[in-house]
Amino acid sequence: MEQVVIAGTGPAGLTAAIYAARARLDPQVIEGITPGGQLIVSHEVENMPGFPEGISGLDLIKLFKRQAKRFGARFQSGIIRTVSKRDTAYVLTTDETTLETRTLIIATGAQARRLDVPSEPKFYGQGVSGCATCDGPFFRDRDVLVVGGGNTAIGDALFLTRFARTVTIVHRRDYLRAAPIEIEKARRHPKIRWMIPWIVAEIAGDKSITGAVLKNPDTGETRKVDCGGIFVAIGHDPQTEAFRDLVVCDEHGFIQVESGSTQTSAPGVFACGDVCDPVYKQAVVAAGLGCMAALDAQRYLEQQDT
Amino acid sequence: MKIKGLYCHHVHLLLVPATLGILSLSGCEKKANDEPPSRNKEKAMSMMKNSIKQEVKKDLSQLSDPVKLIVFTQDMECELCADNRTLMEEVAALSEKVSTEIYDFATDKDPVQRYGIGKIPAVGIQGKKDYGIRFYGVPGGYEFSSLLHAIKIVSKNESGLSSAAKEELKGLTKPVHIQVFVTPTCPYCPAAVQIAHKAAMESELITADMIEIQEFPQLAVKYNVMGVPQTVINESVRFTGALPENKFLQKILEAAK
Repeated sequence: MEQVVIAGTGPAGLTAAIYAARARLDPQVIEGITPGGQLIVSHEVENMPGFPEGISGLDLIKLFKRQAKRFGARFQSGIIRTVSKRDTAYVLTTDETTLETRTLIIATGAQARRLDVPSEPKFYGQGVSGCATCDGPFFRDRDVLVVGGGNTAIGDALFLTRFARTVTIVHRRDYLRAAPIEIEKARRHPKIRWMIPWIVAEIAGDKSITGAVLKNPDTGETRKVDCGGIFVAIGHDPQTEAFRDLVVCDEHGFIQVESGSTQTSAPGVFACGDVCDPVYKQAVVAAGLGCMAALDAQRYLEQQDT
Repeated sequence: MKIKGLYCHHVHLLLVPATLGILSLSGCEKKANDEPPSRNKEKAMSMMKNSIKQEVKKDLSQLSDPVKLIVFTQDMECELCADNRTLMEEVAALSEKVSTEIYDFATDKDPVQRYGIGKIPAVGIQGKKDYGIRFYGVPGGYEFSSLLHAIKIVSKNESGLSSAAKEELKGLTKPVHIQVFVTPTCPYCPAAVQIAHKAAMESELITADMIEIQEFPQLAVKYNVMGVPQTVINESVRFTGALPENKFLQKILEAAK
């Protein structure tokens, strides 16, 4: 029987691991689908207190992990598939193992949202990409679309101008969430065009992408545009699939926690980080919540034992 | 830890001295219009900034057994071959335990065959023996961490795979060739490369290549690579994205059936 199992290895899960390990709870950490979480994609984190020169997301995660390991946190590869209650404990299954634990800290974060059009799965990794820095070089002198209106989308569009012939930003609303300074840069860029408010209704092409069918959500008008690649940056969804029957989530899937705490609707189950935070979504906030979750779990175990 | 990788239209990849831990993606256009930096043997510019060298030195200070970087280049070096050789020599200079052996792809037939090298720039990481760990193209940007990772596991003679994974790999009966296609600006890629290298270390039947796809456009065409990491195992199994260790392992076993 484990005292604490932590699901996820972003800043929330790793901070929970540091605190739980120091509390001698011998935490078992399940690494999840993308070890390190969303942060590993950040080239540079400039707002993490204590790193005045900035640090890459990957390096930051490595430091978190090293610190958790130093105090004895154990890590295993895998994704939690099911959770069921057994007396006061929980039985977790991954594809390979079954674990029984007295407390569970859910820090599974959020995963990039897909376009959700019929042919997207066929083209994912073959012209549809969720990572502009990874795949941008494959689109030299091509026309590409960037879907989204947040900082990631605008940043991706600017990055892709290094390779692509034209970059068209497709966004479903008139309003852009991105920081004004980034929007300004994009507006001035000669390679960047705008399709606002439009959505991607379908992807055209046989073996590779030749274009996209865009739809205007206001008028219902559709229009075909030629492109060789589509970069998707339309936000993230909380990864709570395995936990929907266990804890109460809001309509978007975010786990609901008691105000000022990480306590979920299930006793002994705590949530921290982007999986329960629809508002802030910051590494430093996730880390703070991870700390709270470990302390909440510790207090819960102490109460159970007295 | 990584080395700055800059992409340009005119230059595949420039490795320039970097600020520790920062992968800058700026300055590309400017560089492309400038005179390319001189890359001949006499004037080869340093691939790593001093601050990075200090970090690498510290990182490599805990090595156990000696490690040889088997480097394949050629006479009249191509620009990236020169970059690659210089990088390996600079890394080797940071640890007493690490050395280089430089071979000519065109004339050193014996080692080319022994290590099964079919393209350059190429590096094999050899410890007590050759485990089949290969790098094709310069391991710059995020992939620099994969180079250090390979050196460390080979030196310690311990892949770090879970005991269950090690057990499963013992059941392999057929040769397995893993090719992981990457770009140096891909943060997900080192995870895939490092699992492949761990597997190569664990099984004599496995050879695992990191391939910087931009340096081998013919392979990008052959395998129609438009997204990375892209992993091809024995030509039969193929997947995009960095899978967790256990899933990656299943793909290896599937390809070896």
